[in-house]
Amino acid sequence: MDIVMPQLGETVAEGTLTVWHRKPGERVESGDVLFEVETDKVDTEVPAPAAGILSEILVPEGETVAVGTRIGTLQADGEEASAPAAKNETTAVRIAEKVDASPAMAERAEAAAPPLSPVVRRLLAENGLSPSDITGTGSGGRIKKTDVQAHIAATAAAAASPSAGGRPDRDIVPFGKIRKRTAEHMVMSKATSPHVLQAVEADFHRVAAARAALGDDWKTREGYTLTWLPFVAHAVCRAIADYPHVNASVDGDALVVWRDVHLGIAVDLGPGGLVVPVIRSARGRSVADLARAIHDLAERSRKDALTADDVTGGTYTISNSGAFGTMITAPVINQPQVAILSTDGISKKPVVIESPAGDSIAIRPVGVLAQSFDHRAIDGAYSAAFLKRVKELIEYNDWVTAFD
Amino acid sequence: MATKAKKAAVPPANDDIGEDTRLALFRSQQEIRKVEQKAYDLFLQNLIKGTSHLALGHEAVAAGFGVAMRPDDYTFCTYRGHHHNLARGASMTGVLGELMGRDCGLLRGKGGSMHLTSAEHGVMGSYAIIGAHLPIAVGAAWSAQYRGTEQVSVCFFGDGTTNIGAFHEALNMAAIWKLPVVFVCENNLYMEYTPIRDVTAVENPAGDRAGSYGLPRIVIDGNDADEVYRAAEAAFAKARAGDGPSLIECLTYRHSGHSRADPATYRPAGELEDWLKRDPVPTYRARLIEFGIAEAALAAIESDVSAAVDAATKTAMASPPPADDLLEADVFADGGAAWRN
Amino acid sequence: MAELTYREAVAAGIAQEMRRDERVVFLGEDVAAAGGVFKATVGLLDEFGPVRVKDTPISEQAILGAAMGAAMTGLRPIAEIMFSDFLAVCWDIVANEIAKSRYMTNGQIECPLVIRTANGGGSRFGAQHSQSVENWAMAVPGIKVVAPSTAADVKGLLAAAVRDPDPVLFFEHKSLYATKGEVPDGEHVDTLGTAKVLRQGGDVTILALAAMVPRALSAAEILQSEHGISATVVDIRSLVPLDTQTILSEVVRTGRAVTVEENPRLCGWGAEIASIIADECFYDLDGPVIRITTPHIPLPSADRLEDLAMPSVGRIVETIRTRVD
Repeated sequence: MDIVMPQLGETVAEGTLTVWHRKPGERVESGDVLFEVETDKVDTEVPAPAAGILSEILVPEGETVAVGTRIGTLQADGEEASAPAAKNETTAVRIAEKVDASPAMAERAEAAAPPLSPVVRRLLAENGLSPSDITGTGSGGRIKKTDVQAHIAATAAAAASPSAGGRPDRDIVPFGKIRKRTAEHMVMSKATSPHVLQAVEADFHRVAAARAALGDDWKTREGYTLTWLPFVAHAVCRAIADYPHVNASVDGDALVVWRDVHLGIAVDLGPGGLVVPVIRSARGRSVADLARAIHDLAERSRKDALTADDVTGGTYTISNSGAFGTMITAPVINQPQVAILSTDGISKKPVVIESPAGDSIAIRPVGVLAQSFDHRAIDGAYSAAFLKRVKELIEYNDWVTAFD
Repeated sequence: MATKAKKAAVPPANDDIGEDTRLALFRSQQEIRKVEQKAYDLFLQNLIKGTSHLALGHEAVAAGFGVAMRPDDYTFCTYRGHHHNLARGASMTGVLGELMGRDCGLLRGKGGSMHLTSAEHGVMGSYAIIGAHLPIAVGAAWSAQYRGTEQVSVCFFGDGTTNIGAFHEALNMAAIWKLPVVFVCENNLYMEYTPIRDVTAVENPAGDRAGSYGLPRIVIDGNDADEVYRAAEAAFAKARAGDGPSLIECLTYRHSGHSRADPATYRPAGELEDWLKRDPVPTYRARLIEFGIAEAALAAIESDVSAAVDAATKTAMASPPPADDLLEADVFADGGAAWRN
Repeated sequence: MAELTYREAVAAGIAQEMRRDERVVFLGEDVAAAGGVFKATVGLLDEFGPVRVKDTPISEQAILGAAMGAAMTGLRPIAEIMFSDFLAVCWDIVANEIAKSRYMTNGQIECPLVIRTANGGGSRFGAQHSQSVENWAMAVPGIKVVAPSTAADVKGLLAAAVRDPDPVLFFEHKSLYATKGEVPDGEHVDTLGTAKVLRQGGDVTILALAAMVPRALSAAEILQSEHGISATVVDIRSLVPLDTQTILSEVVRTGRAVTVEENPRLCGWGAEIASIIADECFYDLDGPVIRITTPHIPLPSADRLEDLAMPSVGRIVETIRTRVD
């Protein structure tokens, strides 16, 4: 059977074959990882569709091909035995191909960038659009006539009313300004930086204790909840002092290491997108101070009251999906920075406590801190050491004392 | 020679044909002869392009049948068909104009020498694929029979046609349906370049096949207009009476090659000279004088015909080429060539 | 409405025209006493008698020549050529004589006649009794070419062909003779040169003729229900004249065109249509025009091979599913 480049997402057009887990002639069991694919959205291990022998590899490691491209052949167990039933169909398809398809077309269909059809070219030209404006839904991500029409209809509808028109089987939601910028930025970041993800688990019981002690008072006084985030931000700023290369930018052949920490906080605006306002000179500020700054930025983000200065000049970013109880998030680096930390859900878990008196089990609030870093700038050990430092600060800092 | 034309018969004293008919036969042969000679002159002047198959020598066949036919009878002929068109009354201007590709042509230049047609004179087409028109003539006869009009369909063809399938299909169908059709084979001894006797199983290619379709064998001197006329009259009477088809083989000779391109070098020495001694046109003239018709009357017809041919030539040469919009006219009944909307 | 078989519709169409017009006569091999080898002309001899309904010898040139001679002298003949393959033995009469006479004679001769013939494969008759030769006919200027797919169209288009002043080659499909369909009561006359839109969809336009029409419809159902592809199906019905207005507007609507042709691939009718589409609505195309045809082979006899050769419902579905996105 043919092995094809899988479609790892609705709008994914191509994938890079990063690793083959078998060589030609080697056996693979059904469900075993056969190869790995990296796309602009995900990196995925792809299992073998059936048990058998990998008979040939058509796309070598490192090569990027369109979704649906045949990348290898698997001689599945029993494929020979079931041949008579399958054979007629195969012949019919072969006849059909020979009769009805031009080989040149077939080859071109497998080429990287699907061609634009005449009507698509005409519609793009008539409407002053560029192919990059349109998301193709055809095979291999080909832009179809209906894609352009939907785009035009959606743009017109968006101009007239908030709800977008289109075909009965879908709703067209045109990208807003921020969504579009987010999309562009994410693609650019992935294309620029080789991302590596590392994560540590941290025990938040001291933070929890501080929140329990100060939270009610805070809420009464400030009018909003004291969250986990300012504690993490505080720990990050202190850890950066020890590992400054995560607070940096790549400039050509050099790493620009910033002396101050301008801490970006990713704020979710719903489907509209994401903004990353910046806390200026975050290092040295107290948790309470950071909490107020974070709240202020979030408020202004949601009211669309940020200034250009609020969203530029960040040197390190924290992204927080914790409210949704996620376990781990692989964040995309906020360029031109070189690292980004994600805090996820903090939940109570049994934790082994080691002490000279012996191990015991305690119930502790535990969360994962995950950092994506730019492998051009730093290496895994450095990043890991930084994460370890953050973890230590979270776990051992006397947060009640450090609060104000 | 295997097939030799018989000597022209001397008519009985109380002749069955009559002077008016004889003069008509004489005039018709003169017209054909002079138009064909003019056509030959025009070839030499390169005013007639393409191919052309002259009927010089075949005049008596066309005249004999043409004079015997009713105006509403049908003529079907081959690419060698100038004489049959003229014999039915098609205009000389139309014939010469068509040969020269002029607007005044019978077909306004769309058919050419091989497809002369004059439906208003009963000439339902000249067919350039050997054998094709025999079944078509059968169809016209079937139509006449169905409509009960007593029209006769007359189909002229060469000796070479007797060896093609359509000949046999047509003869058989005409015989089984007793259709009013008269098949006339102009046996001029050669198909194109090959002598017919070299490629045919019987001596008389048409006459000897008649029995296969239950028809009498009729082989006549095709260079004798009187004999042709008599044979035509007999066949037409049979057809109009509902007694079915006839097949008549007329022995004749073409004085020129098969077509314009053919110098006829394959003919044995002396053959043409022998046949020219029995050239139907002067032979018939001599006979009429022998029968007591005044030489001056014949000379008057001759000069009359010459003048008509000259006038027709002049008119045709002055005619413009066909209009460009004829190119796509009359492919379909709506007058045009549109195959799509 | 009455339900008739395709074959009954043939006789019904001929009878309707013979009742209307004394000039209409009918001839062919085994058509009268035997009622046709496909039993498509049963009853005509009884109703109209041997003068108007004539059995002929096995003489295809004589059959068509007689029809032509009769047509040019005032009758409206219908001639049957038993199998369309046999057109090859009388092609001279069709292509050189009937088709050209009006033009060559500057309109002096006209041939209002109909040549009916049983066309197409699927009956396991082998290479000389199964051909789809409609593309031969449309290559000759001067004849009209019709190929109905339903009983109603057989009757209506046959009547229109008889009344048309031009010669019409009328291709009946052997494998459709047994199919049934509603036929309007009373006089039924259709219009030559009109295609029919049988269903409309948004994704692809399938252009089909004769026996390929029901297959295209079945394929469209499967494409819709199993693959979410919604197809327009156009029954071409008439190759000459060709209803390019309907064809082009339906292709423009979906941006995709697929022809389903039984004729062998080279110079099949779909090639001309593809050329017209490329020429006249290129900038409305959202992908290549795809032709699904019989390969360029003589048709084999064995059912397995013949089924493999002719465009099947499965092949139509598979081709469209994989090549029309």
